[in-house]
Amino acid sequence: MSTTTAPTAGSASPTPTPAPLPRLVSAFSGTVGLAVKYTLLSLSNALAVWAIYVLITRHHWVAVVLLAGATLLIDLIYLGGHTLMPAKFLVPGTIFLVGFQLFPIIYTVEVAFTDYGTGHIGTKAAAIQQIQTTSLEPPANGKIYTMAAAHDASGKLVIILQDQASKQDFVGTTSGLKPLAAADVKAAAGQITAAKGYTLLHGAALFDADRQLQTFVVPVGKAGIRPQALTTAVELEPTLRYDAKRDAFIRLSDGAVFRDTGNGEFAHGTDGLEPGWKTGVGFRNFSRIINDPLIRKPFLSVFAWTFVFAAGTVFLSFAIGLFLAVSLDKKGMRFLRTYRSILIIPWAVPGFLSILAWQGLLDQFGVVNNKIIHPVFGTTVPWLGDANVAKLSCILVSAWLTVPFFFIVCLGALQAIPEELTEAARVDGGGPFQIFRRVTMPLLLVAVGPLLISSFALNFNNFNNIYFLTAGGPPQANSAVAGATDILISYTYKLAIATGKGQDFALAASVTIIVFFITAIISTIGFSRTRVLEEVV
Amino acid sequence: MSSRKRIGALLLVAIAGFLAALAGSIHPAKAAGPTMTIWVDQNRKDAVTQLANQWSAKNPGVTVNVVVQDFGSIRDKLGTVDASTAPDVILAAHDWTGQLAANGLVEPIYLSAAVKKQFPAYTLNAFSYGLAVKKLYGVPTQIENIGLVVNTSLVKVPSTFAQLEQEALAYKKKVHASFGIAVQQGSGYDAYHMYPFFSGLGGYVFGTNSAGNLDPSNIGVANKAFLKNSALIGKWNKEGLLNSALTYSTAQDAFLKKQAAFYITGPWASQVLEQSGIKFKIIQMPKIVDASVPFLGVQGAMVTKYADPHGVGGLAEDFVSNYLTTPAAQLALAIANGRYPANTVAGKSVTDPVLAEFGKAGTGGVPMPNIPQMASVWQDLGAAWFKATKGSGATPAKSAFTAAARSIADKIG
Repeated sequence: MSTTTAPTAGSASPTPTPAPLPRLVSAFSGTVGLAVKYTLLSLSNALAVWAIYVLITRHHWVAVVLLAGATLLIDLIYLGGHTLMPAKFLVPGTIFLVGFQLFPIIYTVEVAFTDYGTGHIGTKAAAIQQIQTTSLEPPANGKIYTMAAAHDASGKLVIILQDQASKQDFVGTTSGLKPLAAADVKAAAGQITAAKGYTLLHGAALFDADRQLQTFVVPVGKAGIRPQALTTAVELEPTLRYDAKRDAFIRLSDGAVFRDTGNGEFAHGTDGLEPGWKTGVGFRNFSRIINDPLIRKPFLSVFAWTFVFAAGTVFLSFAIGLFLAVSLDKKGMRFLRTYRSILIIPWAVPGFLSILAWQGLLDQFGVVNNKIIHPVFGTTVPWLGDANVAKLSCILVSAWLTVPFFFIVCLGALQAIPEELTEAARVDGGGPFQIFRRVTMPLLLVAVGPLLISSFALNFNNFNNIYFLTAGGPPQANSAVAGATDILISYTYKLAIATGKGQDFALAASVTIIVFFITAIISTIGFSRTRVLEEVV
Repeated sequence: MSSRKRIGALLLVAIAGFLAALAGSIHPAKAAGPTMTIWVDQNRKDAVTQLANQWSAKNPGVTVNVVVQDFGSIRDKLGTVDASTAPDVILAAHDWTGQLAANGLVEPIYLSAAVKKQFPAYTLNAFSYGLAVKKLYGVPTQIENIGLVVNTSLVKVPSTFAQLEQEALAYKKKVHASFGIAVQQGSGYDAYHMYPFFSGLGGYVFGTNSAGNLDPSNIGVANKAFLKNSALIGKWNKEGLLNSALTYSTAQDAFLKKQAAFYITGPWASQVLEQSGIKFKIIQMPKIVDASVPFLGVQGAMVTKYADPHGVGGLAEDFVSNYLTTPAAQLALAIANGRYPANTVAGKSVTDPVLAEFGKAGTGGVPMPNIPQMASVWQDLGAAWFKATKGSGATPAKSAFTAAARSIADKIG
């Protein structure tokens, strides 16, 4: 192992006065600290109790248990003695790790084994209810009534109805329809205003009955009259009947049976009912990735390009960053700070903004073509319109965004290499290039190596750069979903929103898991390589 | 700390926490009546708020809660929102109907014959969907479509496609442009703006089955008649009538800076056009082989499945089907985001000539298919246009559209 690991730039020279941090710690160790601790704990408890209250009202029981457990644990740890000391430092980080990292991962994995997507988002019970609602149909000559909700003499909810076509009046109860004398019902401007013997509901009383009215049915033969919009009622006939015992829908017109297929829907042959529901489907999504040519074919070419994109971006930005760092690593150079500041600008602007700016610049009719390429060469370059040129543009723009990072890193690493080593090499007769290659570069790679790998992993999943620059385009001749510059993650996004019935989150989640493993494997191999590098030095 | 002290401290902290929580959880006095929540976009927030207030004045005791959402995100948010904060009414685009209904998120609406009569049949059809039974899921409020904008001080308004082609190419030559008609494409593959060319050549997206429903297995992207006519696309590509590199902004720029005398766009550009000082007229693109009709977009309002459990199902239905359908409400909404009202009675009182011209340009148009399978179409159809009109190295239209049709069929499965 090397003993010359770079000292960090921020390490302070030894001074007799204690550093600010320990001083701060000691100031908060006494009564002040205790008071602060109790206040913060009380606040966190208060927040938790309030959140639990809200969660209970919304019936999120799992979350209630998790939150209560976590809160108790925090109280115990921070009020406990010194034996729990390490936990005090670990717990906050762990909670954030679970909340922001583990939970999304678990959720993604869970989704990958379901059919979550268009038509399959709710529960089976909700689906059954919705199918019943949407399978109602007005019968031939189905009537529409003007309606008013009312109470009869005994205070029971009834509806007063006037046929909009024949103007005949009725009273509807849950047991049936009964005609009323025309003289007993008054109507004006399409509204029933009074009915003899009944109290019409208005205002708060009507609003209270809203829920009840939504399930109110006046049976009329096979059909039923159902209230709509508080002032009208419609005669509707079911076309499907749910048989709870067989767990199936039966079409009333021909007796066709729609059974639960096990894929989250009721179907009769290929004829399915909507909506379906979210259900577990095992490895179906993964087997689709392997077996469905629509997904598999582009997957390999997209994977290859993703690799080229990530590797190209890292290599190019590292090369340029290193070159700039070496050129600006000169003591006593004039305007050094200015140069360095300018180089960091791409990093200081939010990435997606500069990418959008680049998209405008590289547009077929953009500044680059109109003001530079065309006046000079008399032609234009399809920066984003041609498959290969667009790929190059993606790498160039990503590299432009990453150069400042490697510039700073390389500059720091270069300054950390002890001058004695390069001095000694020079005394031994090494030329500048030889020194750079044999001494500087290996030492530099020890420090920068892991960053190269993490930068590779980052670019491997760099959705923003691709999506904002080319949106994956231009289209390819041989692939439907993936464009020429689609990387795995933007391809996954397109799978999620633009296939089949629209959204297929489950398929996208399973691709995401595969992408995760690919990234993990590449990073593991990479990191073990850098370890080898360290041992060489 | 001794253990007793520790327990004391724990109790103290717990009590303090509980008290603070109590203080936090005390609700402000709850409104006595029911509350109805509406999701709207920023443009129509004021108009909807005003309409909702007028409506609730007729229903004293009802509180209306208007929540602004990014319009494009309403469709997907409705599927993930917590039931307690979910909206009872949403403003929606008609092509969301299939997805929302297939997800069971919206409720059927029943309109009286008198109300139905005030709406063109296609606007109601645009909001209807169903595999087993076709149901109406939304009330149409506004219509939008693209048209051909002609700079009348540079060229004559064409009455045939041959005239259009000739004038566009002549003007292109005059100003040394790389296209004759400014139609946006760009990297996002835009099948929407290309649709008039597509329909004019005999193309269609989905055919209908015997029940009159859109049939996702009947894909017309590469139907025989269209493929026969598609050689014209190759001709346009060769003469540079279209340019697939144009984006929303470069197409607009080209028209405003007089690099093109013809421009295909919709009413969202009407303000820019009016302020540009250019003399223009909007027409439907002249017939190519068939009528070059645009896609029609219908906007509207829907009642969600959350309204019933919230206890405002009837109220929400009343607001949407009895109130938002009135000519006055339709006009107010249409003015709010510069579109043509769906209600024909309201349409008669539209005085804005630009809106009226756009409305005329949509005659005979095709509502964008509202079945969820349409999600599999946009990209492929747009990509086929892109490939066939990208200048040198373009794919012959016949093979581009045949490939698109195959890929769409594969994706729909």
